[in-house]
Amino acid sequence: MTSRRSLVSVVDDDESVRESLPDLLAQHGFAVKAFSSAEEFLASPDMDRTKCLILDVAMPGMSGTDLQQELKRRRQAIPIVFITAHQDETVRPRLLAEGAVECLFKPFSETALLAALDTALRAA
Amino acid sequence: MTTGFEGITTASDLIDILDTIEVPVVVVRRDFLVACFNKAAADVLGLSGSDVGRPCRSISVLAGLPRLEQQCRQVIADGVECRADFRDGDRWFVVRISLCTTGDRQISGTVLSFTNVTAFRASTDQAIYEREFTKSILNTVADPLVVVSPDLRIQSGNRAFYTTFGVSRDETQGVPLDQVGNGALALRTLRAQFEEMLAGRNAFQPVEVEHVFPGKGQRTLILDARSLSLRGHSERRVLVTFHDITARKQAEAAKDLRSEAELRRSEAFLAEAQRLSQTGSFSWRVATDEITWSEEAYRIYGIDPTVPVTFELIRTRVHPDNLSMLQEVIDRVRREDGDFDYESRLLMPDHSIKYLHVVAHGGRNRDGELELVGTVQDVTERRLAEEALAKARSELAHVARVTTLGALTASIAHEVNQPLSGIITNASTCLRMLDADPPNVDGARETVRRTLRDGNRASDVITRLRALFGKKSATTESVDLNEATREVIALSRTDLQSTGVILRTELADDLPWVTGDRVQLQQVILNLLLNASDAMSGVYDRPRQVVISTDPDERDRVRLTVRDAGVGFDPQAVNRLFDAFYTTKSGGMGIGLSVSRSIIEGHHGRLWAALNDGPGATFSFSIPCAAGASAIDSSVAVRTPAVTHVEHAMGGL
Repeated sequence: MTSRRSLVSVVDDDESVRESLPDLLAQHGFAVKAFSSAEEFLASPDMDRTKCLILDVAMPGMSGTDLQQELKRRRQAIPIVFITAHQDETVRPRLLAEGAVECLFKPFSETALLAALDTALRAA
Repeated sequence: MTTGFEGITTASDLIDILDTIEVPVVVVRRDFLVACFNKAAADVLGLSGSDVGRPCRSISVLAGLPRLEQQCRQVIADGVECRADFRDGDRWFVVRISLCTTGDRQISGTVLSFTNVTAFRASTDQAIYEREFTKSILNTVADPLVVVSPDLRIQSGNRAFYTTFGVSRDETQGVPLDQVGNGALALRTLRAQFEEMLAGRNAFQPVEVEHVFPGKGQRTLILDARSLSLRGHSERRVLVTFHDITARKQAEAAKDLRSEAELRRSEAFLAEAQRLSQTGSFSWRVATDEITWSEEAYRIYGIDPTVPVTFELIRTRVHPDNLSMLQEVIDRVRREDGDFDYESRLLMPDHSIKYLHVVAHGGRNRDGELELVGTVQDVTERRLAEEALAKARSELAHVARVTTLGALTASIAHEVNQPLSGIITNASTCLRMLDADPPNVDGARETVRRTLRDGNRASDVITRLRALFGKKSATTESVDLNEATREVIALSRTDLQSTGVILRTELADDLPWVTGDRVQLQQVILNLLLNASDAMSGVYDRPRQVVISTDPDERDRVRLTVRDAGVGFDPQAVNRLFDAFYTTKSGGMGIGLSVSRSIIEGHHGRLWAALNDGPGATFSFSIPCAAGASAIDSSVAVRTPAVTHVEHAMGGL
């Protein structure tokens, strides 16, 4: 089991996600920070201590995949769990091939989320 | 026997007798002295008594006979009288010189008698003049003229005759006409005509004869003949004239040749045009069923051009599905003298199919008989291209629909999944908070609040979708149902013809207008028409005929009826026909009639179906006229299924 105090960052332009996900993960003992955009996350001092990134694929401005590439460029090896409301089955293999731990389609179950987080933190 | 003149013995007695005649008489002795003369000689020739005993040569009036002495001597020597012309001023005499003998038969001299021929001479001169005048006129005539005897021997010809035939007057005089020149003037066959003419039975009919002239070659002549009969002459003559028409004949021949060449050229153009446009032409005499085809028509039907065309022959080529339509067209022409314009198919011996467009126009020929003249065009390539285009269009529409639907679905899914995700996460959090010990009720309340918010958000998505794709108000306007029907027919004609449907319209004149949504009503008409067409797709034993009619109906309503000759429907299912998703068609969705009835009911009308007495069914609707109709009840008119379904049903019928 990974440390429950590891920081999990959530990046999603949808406010509903930013409100609900941190509360749920907090119930499971995670420290969670939510960001409304990729740019905000990159600018945050919390980026360096983030052990897992829960990242929305489609966002205004820098998208989730753009952020993934940017982190690679910065050699920031943060495990990423993508979440998306677009149920496009072709996206998932592409993201996994780029190094993502998991890609969850909204709405996803609590169990699926925790399993993905667990995998991510093990990898971290 | 006595003469009664025995008493007359002296010269004086003779002179007394001679004085009684008006012809001047002068007696000349053998020594050429004047012996005596009568009174007429004194009166006419001016001799006087002193002239008796004088030599003839010394008498001035006799100087007009310079050879008198010589002639008298000759008469005395030969005993044969002679004549000499004698001129005295304007007067002409013929002098007869004869022997004068005494009573003892001794020759005593000669007797000169002077016959005045002045008048005769004048008329002779006139005749000569006129003959020369006529001759010179005849010589100026360019056409050869020749006078022949009844046995066709040449008497004389004009200059043109001799020069044309290359002969001289002398060598042809008395020669039979058919031996003139090279003797090739074949007149044997004309002899009968000559004989008829000479007998006065028939006038000569001009004939064309060919003759080869030396140096001129073959010429064509019009030979004519007239019988000449001169008063006082029993002998007949025939005037034969020749008119050279070679140049005219050559011009005519050239013109004929030109006309024929132009005709051939024109025919060649037409044949080429027919071949290029794949359009044959035909004519049909209705009374006798005499049919003629152009070369291209034969080619289109794939039939040997030497074979006479009959309907039996045509039927061997017509596609079995189109045979009843052909018969219908033939029957209608016989019945109504009508023109026709239809599309048909041929089933060729190699099992290929040809599509034809046949157009014909009827008219009366010179004999007053009905004759149709028309064209038959091979439109196979066009039809196949149209079908390929229609297929491509249909596939494209399908792709577009699927693509649009896919994109729409993804968009809807995204919009709905976002709040759903929030709902599920919040609900999960809520459970966790309530399960904690002690339960985090405030936190749970907050998550429930968010759940409610996200639920409403999902609901808003649905509301927006409904606004986007939902019901729209029907438009209301005055509609001429006849005109609306004609537009539908124009749109669907190709589809109907391609399935061999014969459409007849019986649209009532002065049909009252209705108030309604024109497009919706046209959707209903189109639906009924295509249903009728579909119902006959398996019909081969009778014409696939659809009759669409409009009539004023009872109580200020108008009615539109579509009657087909199709398979009809199960009478027990009549109540289910208009139910949504009820269908008897393999490819149908069972929506068309359901939507149609909704539309008609939206127009305060009624749509119903009935089986025909014969094959097929009749669908009718009746709606109020404009004056009696209120606005459309849009809440009914736009009932489900949604618009997209209507389109699908219409397009997929």
